[in-house]
Amino acid sequence: MIIRIEPDSDIPIYQQITNQIIEGIARGSIQPGDSLPSVRAFAADLGVNMHTVNKSYHQLENKGIIRIAPKSGAVISSPQDFNASASDKLKEAFKPLIAESIVIGMSNEQIQELVTSIMEDLRKSNKHLK
Amino acid sequence: MTLAIFLIIAFILVGIQTAVPFLVKRTVIFGVTVPEKYLKNETLTSYKKGYALLVSLLSFVVLAGYLLWALMNNPSEQQTVLVGTVIQFGIILYSLTLYFFYHGKTLQLKKNNNWGEGLKQVKITDLSVRSQDEMLPWYVYLLPIVITVGVIGYTILQYDLLPKQIPTHWGINGEADAFTEKTPMSAILMPLTFLIMQFMFLGIHIGTKKSGIKLSAVNTSASRMRQLTLRKNSSWFMFIISFLLTVMFSFFQLKTIHPDLFAGITMAAAPILFLVIALAGTIAIAVKVGRSDKLSNDETELEITDFDEDAHWKGGLFYFNRKDPSIFVEKRFGVGWTLNFGNPIGYFIVLVPLVIILVISFL
Repeated sequence: MIIRIEPDSDIPIYQQITNQIIEGIARGSIQPGDSLPSVRAFAADLGVNMHTVNKSYHQLENKGIIRIAPKSGAVISSPQDFNASASDKLKEAFKPLIAESIVIGMSNEQIQELVTSIMEDLRKSNKHLK
Repeated sequence: MTLAIFLIIAFILVGIQTAVPFLVKRTVIFGVTVPEKYLKNETLTSYKKGYALLVSLLSFVVLAGYLLWALMNNPSEQQTVLVGTVIQFGIILYSLTLYFFYHGKTLQLKKNNNWGEGLKQVKITDLSVRSQDEMLPWYVYLLPIVITVGVIGYTILQYDLLPKQIPTHWGINGEADAFTEKTPMSAILMPLTFLIMQFMFLGIHIGTKKSGIKLSAVNTSASRMRQLTLRKNSSWFMFIISFLLTVMFSFFQLKTIHPDLFAGITMAAAPILFLVIALAGTIAIAVKVGRSDKLSNDETELEITDFDEDAHWKGGLFYFNRKDPSIFVEKRFGVGWTLNFGNPIGYFIVLVPLVIILVISFL
C-alpha cells in the first residue's frame, strides 16, 4: 500500500500517516493481522524523523487500530478487538464535524448523502467487506 | 604491462565519468531535482551532452599524450605509475569541476524558470516495498571474517615458521616486493587490516539495509526498480569483492608461512584477475542500475512532484539531513551510495575502521 504525505501541508505528518493507514485498512489495502514496517524502516523509506512515525504508531495504538508487540512489531487489529468505548470516542470526533456541516448550511439529506458517498467510495475498493 | 593497466583503468574511468549524466536517477540532473515535465528540456539535454563531450574529449587527448610519451621516452616503471596516477586524479578533478559548472547552470535554469512552482510536493513510500528487498542477509559477510580470523589464528600458531622478513606489499604479478622486520604485530598486520575492513563492509551492509528505500511519487515503479536493483547488486558486489580479496591475501599469507608447500603454485594471474572482475563488476552495476529506471514509464499525475530535497544536498553531492534516519542514500551524481552526513552512525561505520587501520599500521 502506497503512503503519500505532503510535508508542506497544515496537517502534521504524523496525522497524515495515521489517516492514510486507517483509510488503507478501510479500503482493504492492508488487512487485520498484517504488520506495519518497523518505525526505523518506515521513517527511513519516507525520509522523515523517527519520532514522527513513532507518534503516528502510538496514536494508532491508542485508538486500538494496531497492537504493538515487542517482537512482531505493529500489527493491525481485527474488528472484533474493538468495544463500545471505541464507538463512543468516534461519536465525540464526529460531533464537531457534523456541527460544522450544519453551520455552513448543509441539510440533513446533504450530510447523509456526503457520509454515504464516502462510505461507498471506501467500500468499493474493499473486496473483503462485500 | 603497467602502462596497459593504467590505460585500461583510465579508459573505464573516462567512460563512466562521461556516461554519469545518463546513468543517474532520471529526475535529478547535475545534482538538481527537476520536475518530471521539464526532464526533456532542450537546455538540460544540451548540458548533459556538453558535459559528456568535454569530459571525454580532453581526457582522451591527455591519455593519447600519455601513451605517446610512454612509448617514445621509455620511462621507468615508477615514472609510468606516477604520471598515470596523476592523470587519473586529474581526470576526476576535471570532471568534478565540470560537474560544478553544470550544477550551477542547472540550478540557475531551475530558478529562472520557476520550475516546480504550483506543483504540490509529496513524499511517498510503499508499505510492502521492504518485502521486495533482495539484499544479501548480513551473516554472509561473516564468511570472509571467519576465514580471516582463521588465518590470524594459524599465523600465531605457526609464528616460528615465519621468515625473518615479512612481506608487506605484493606486485601486480602476485609476488611480494616489499618486506619488514618480523614482529608479532607485523606477522598478523595484513590479515588484521583485512579483518577491520571486513567489519567495515559488514557495517556498511547493515547500514545500507536499514537505510530508506526511496520511492519517487511521480515515477513510482521506475524508482522502485532502481532502488531494489541498486540494493541487491551493490550488496552482492561488495560481498564478492570482500570474499575474493580475502581468499587472495589468505593465500599470500599461507605462502609466507609455507613457501615450500605452495612452491609450485604461483598466484601471478590472481591480482590481474581480481582487477578484471572488479572493473567488469563496476561497469556492469553502473549500466544495470543506470538503465533500471529508464525502461518503464509511469503514468504521472501532472499536479504533483517529488519533495524537493535540494536544500539537503550540499553542492548536489553531499547529503546532510538530520531528520532522515537513513545512514546511506543513493548518490545524486554517480551510481552507488553516499553517506547521510547528518547521521553520526555513518561516520562511525566508515571512519572508525579507517582510523584503527591507520593506528595499527603505525604502531
